[in-house]
Amino acid sequence: MSGPRGCTFGIDVGSTTLKAVAVDAEGAIVASHVEATTPFIEDQSERALAALRTRCPLGGEGPLGATGYGRKRIPSATRVVTEITCHARGAYHLIRRSGVLIDFGGQDTKVIRIGDHGEVVDFTMNDKCAAGTGRFLEVILGRLHVPLEEAATMAEDAASAVSVSSTCTVFAESEVISLVAHGKPVPDIVLGLHRSLASRVSALAGRMKDGREVFMSGGVALNRAMADALAAEIAAPITVLPEPQLVGALGAALGVRT
Amino acid sequence: MRELPGKGDDVRREYISQQQRQHGRKVLAVLPIHYPKELLTAMNLLAVELWGPPGKPRGPDAGRIQTYVCAVVRNALAFLASGGADVVDGVLFPHTCDSIQGLATQAPDFGGWGKQVFRFLHPKGDDRPSSRTFIRRELEVLAVELERLTHAPLEPEALGRAIDLHREIHALRARLVDRRRCLPVDDLALYTALRRGEFLWPSDHLGELREAAAVLDDTTAQQGTPVMITGLVPEPMTIFSALDEAGAFVVADDYAAVGRRIVRDYPKSAADPLDTLVDLQFAGPPCSTRTIAQQRRIDVLEQTFDRSGAAGLIIHMIKFCEPELFDVPLIRRRFEAKGVPVLYLESELERELAGQTVTRVEAFVEMLRPVQIQIGSVT
Amino acid sequence: MISRRVQYEVAGRVTGPILMALQNYQQQRRRRRRSPKDNPFGPPIQCARKMKDLMSIYYYQGRWADGAVPVAWITSGFPVELLRAFGFYSVYPENHGALCAARHMMPELAAVAEDAGYSRDLCAYARTDLGSVLSGNTPLGRIPKPDLVAACSNICQTVLYWFRSIADHLGVPFFVLDTPFVYGDFKQHHLDYVSDQLLELSDVASRISGRIVTEEELLEVNLRAMEGSRLWGECLDISRTCPSPWSSFDHFYHMAPIVTLRGTEACNAYYRELKDELDDRVAKGIGGIKDERHRLLWDNIAIWPKMRDLSRLFATHGFCFVTATYTNAWRESLPFWDPKDWLRSSAKMLSNTILNRDLKNRLRVMTGLIEDFECDGVVLHSDRSCKPYSVGQYDLKGALTRELGVKVAVIEADHADPREYADEQVETRLLAFMESFE
Repeated sequence: MSGPRGCTFGIDVGSTTLKAVAVDAEGAIVASHVEATTPFIEDQSERALAALRTRCPLGGEGPLGATGYGRKRIPSATRVVTEITCHARGAYHLIRRSGVLIDFGGQDTKVIRIGDHGEVVDFTMNDKCAAGTGRFLEVILGRLHVPLEEAATMAEDAASAVSVSSTCTVFAESEVISLVAHGKPVPDIVLGLHRSLASRVSALAGRMKDGREVFMSGGVALNRAMADALAAEIAAPITVLPEPQLVGALGAALGVRT
Repeated sequence: MRELPGKGDDVRREYISQQQRQHGRKVLAVLPIHYPKELLTAMNLLAVELWGPPGKPRGPDAGRIQTYVCAVVRNALAFLASGGADVVDGVLFPHTCDSIQGLATQAPDFGGWGKQVFRFLHPKGDDRPSSRTFIRRELEVLAVELERLTHAPLEPEALGRAIDLHREIHALRARLVDRRRCLPVDDLALYTALRRGEFLWPSDHLGELREAAAVLDDTTAQQGTPVMITGLVPEPMTIFSALDEAGAFVVADDYAAVGRRIVRDYPKSAADPLDTLVDLQFAGPPCSTRTIAQQRRIDVLEQTFDRSGAAGLIIHMIKFCEPELFDVPLIRRRFEAKGVPVLYLESELERELAGQTVTRVEAFVEMLRPVQIQIGSVT
Repeated sequence: MISRRVQYEVAGRVTGPILMALQNYQQQRRRRRRSPKDNPFGPPIQCARKMKDLMSIYYYQGRWADGAVPVAWITSGFPVELLRAFGFYSVYPENHGALCAARHMMPELAAVAEDAGYSRDLCAYARTDLGSVLSGNTPLGRIPKPDLVAACSNICQTVLYWFRSIADHLGVPFFVLDTPFVYGDFKQHHLDYVSDQLLELSDVASRISGRIVTEEELLEVNLRAMEGSRLWGECLDISRTCPSPWSSFDHFYHMAPIVTLRGTEACNAYYRELKDELDDRVAKGIGGIKDERHRLLWDNIAIWPKMRDLSRLFATHGFCFVTATYTNAWRESLPFWDPKDWLRSSAKMLSNTILNRDLKNRLRVMTGLIEDFECDGVVLHSDRSCKPYSVGQYDLKGALTRELGVKVAVIEADHADPREYADEQVETRLLAFMESFE
């Protein structure tokens, strides 16, 4: 079903960002596109896909796999599959072995156990609230006037982590404000926030992670400090997948190959 | 299609007033889960179950109960206090859990329900002599208390007839659920038919069940991925549409509101029909709210699963439901040890399934379906 | 078996006491006084150390209990008297949960249970204790394995599910003592049911312990237990004096023996000594807090991980909790005790606990406490972990304000899970509450 030169496309419309990729016959990403999600998914996705197809070195033709929470609103999709299956597929393509994938997204965090053949064996997701997602960091770093990109560097400067006990985003916000008022250094708080989030995600993974290799994808994986905090929490190394944001879109594109 | 219970408030209301007018029946709103329906039928009392109702709480009184208490109880207080159940003559509170126990004093004692109140305390723990003696007395006392509404005592013959009627209902419900694969309707239609039993007069319900069973057809086989489901109550009912869209159907059921109230070994009629009612208390599938030994409950779940040929298990919880939540780790452990995929969902009596929950359902069905996924293979 | 029994007895009578004495000696040398300026409390209660020793020896001895004597894990509202007559050593998973929470071990232990699939919406005692059962991690060093797990529904139904899970995990017999909830007045067939179960329990206890217990022996333990409850009640009642010689935060601490050692002479001896000390404090005009200006009633279980912070906050502002529905629970049934009929009176006592009766009774009990202890305010702890204690609290607040004219605050917290506690929000609410008295 792939295009004349073996090319397929994948789009992952997440709650925070829209990701689209073009993949060649070998499964390598040859072009990609990332932008913030707007409420007008139909228009936005078609525009983004048109741009991607134009830029694709293998030509703009080929089937499209759609995933992400906006997956059902992509008019030109050839196949619609959930982000759980797509992340597993994309990750397995990159790592070629079984393990546990933590997809750390803006408003969703998923833990997916990938089997020996790339199949989904089990998965869990965070509950409805923002605790345990990238949004938690975003909101509270915003209160501290720390840009997301600087969070990792700042966490490195921390002398020691300040314990942030509230995992509820709303409670944590006021807790952090009071920590600042009590003169706690901001880098220590930032590190504490990462730890708090890591413990929440580790709890989400529960026993699924035990004794298995752990991989990380999703936009939050770009934040080095988060990967470090999570590795410390689960007491095991974590491999951050290359271009972690694109793993879902990659899986979607792989899913429409013949 | 006939209306869903709970959702069609007006449908129920109309049915209730028709029952009152045409049959002179008194009506009891009944909180979940287990209660002696045969006894109510025998006393010409219509039971209308109150599972919330789902949706946003009706009126401000839900605020009188903390948000960490389940939506069934918070919604029920709001519903009662806002006059939602004004058409009925009394409320029966079974002793199901700590929260319903609290509601059963809060609503009548501190505002929310001014009409008649009845409580039914079923024994906790395994079948033993003390609990048999107790439940018999409890049933007798309840029957006497209900005379406040009916102004007539319980007649043993009427109880015998009610038992026969309900035995037939249980058998038909079991048939529909157990032969799901041969039933050429979707889950939504099946569950609607089953759940109308929550408010219909038993013989009306029986008529509808017969109609539903008439289309059972051994030559057809339900297409799609079969799953088993357990939980408190199938709300929101759109869970069945989500399963259907994802290409799955429910082949075995352990919802406390549905499958767990189907008694397959319905006791034989004893000389004294009250003895049959006592037997009935211990005859149904094990339920968390009766404090039955966990292993027994999970054994039954496993047998049901194996018999049904389901490909996976969905645990569909109502948030904050303590009796159910304590069983979840053991259920998971047992099924995962068998290599059965398990999906855990949580809802709070919303009208619609959250988008994220739909994604989980779809991903779960994708996971169960043995469709070959091409991974990394170069074409 | 015999050598195990010897170990057990030696631990309780010799090694335990020696270890305690040693520890106290070391601590005494290290102990420093806090500067009196920022200390809002009265001088510490001297007996406290004795109680710590009493409990420590009990826990210490417990390490050798299994194999030496029959062991039961039971709920706080369970008739331990009956099991004690059969020679059982009792373990209280609830107390254990509270202890773990007070020692700030809760999040770590709960994480084990949560990892195993226990929802974070479940009672925090249960999660903590199940985490401990699953991991073997406990601040007590070692908890003896039970021969029987037994739960009584007179405090909640949660314990039925929780203890059932423990019994299942450990593969131990499980006994449910079902006390039908009392709406309005007691019903005779409910009380008969409880009596029947007490007899069934005797059979179970006899089978496990291999002992036959006479009515006289049973009565003897019960009489000791009732004496303990009476003494505990007298200690609590001393708080009717103004200033109260001790506060509810002290009551929470000192309730350990009446819960766990009820029916033993050690328990009664302890409360006699405590009572003497409290009488002495009253004679000398010593208060639990230095400057008692307002007297409060506490409703619901203590917030164990925040006891220190909360007691200081209130004491600093001149507020003293003088009574609590929680601590009152271990004396409230005493009027139903009838030595001529232990079986039926026990059934009634077990059914009468505040959490096994309706909200009207709860309001009656609270009103009585407010009047007897001359409280001018109430703090209702809305406890995320405890549904039976918390459902209806907003209505109780309204009724108390309306009918008694007292000031009432509700705080949203949890008896054991610090993650469900927002310091800032609670403090702000309580400060505003205290300001309203000015």
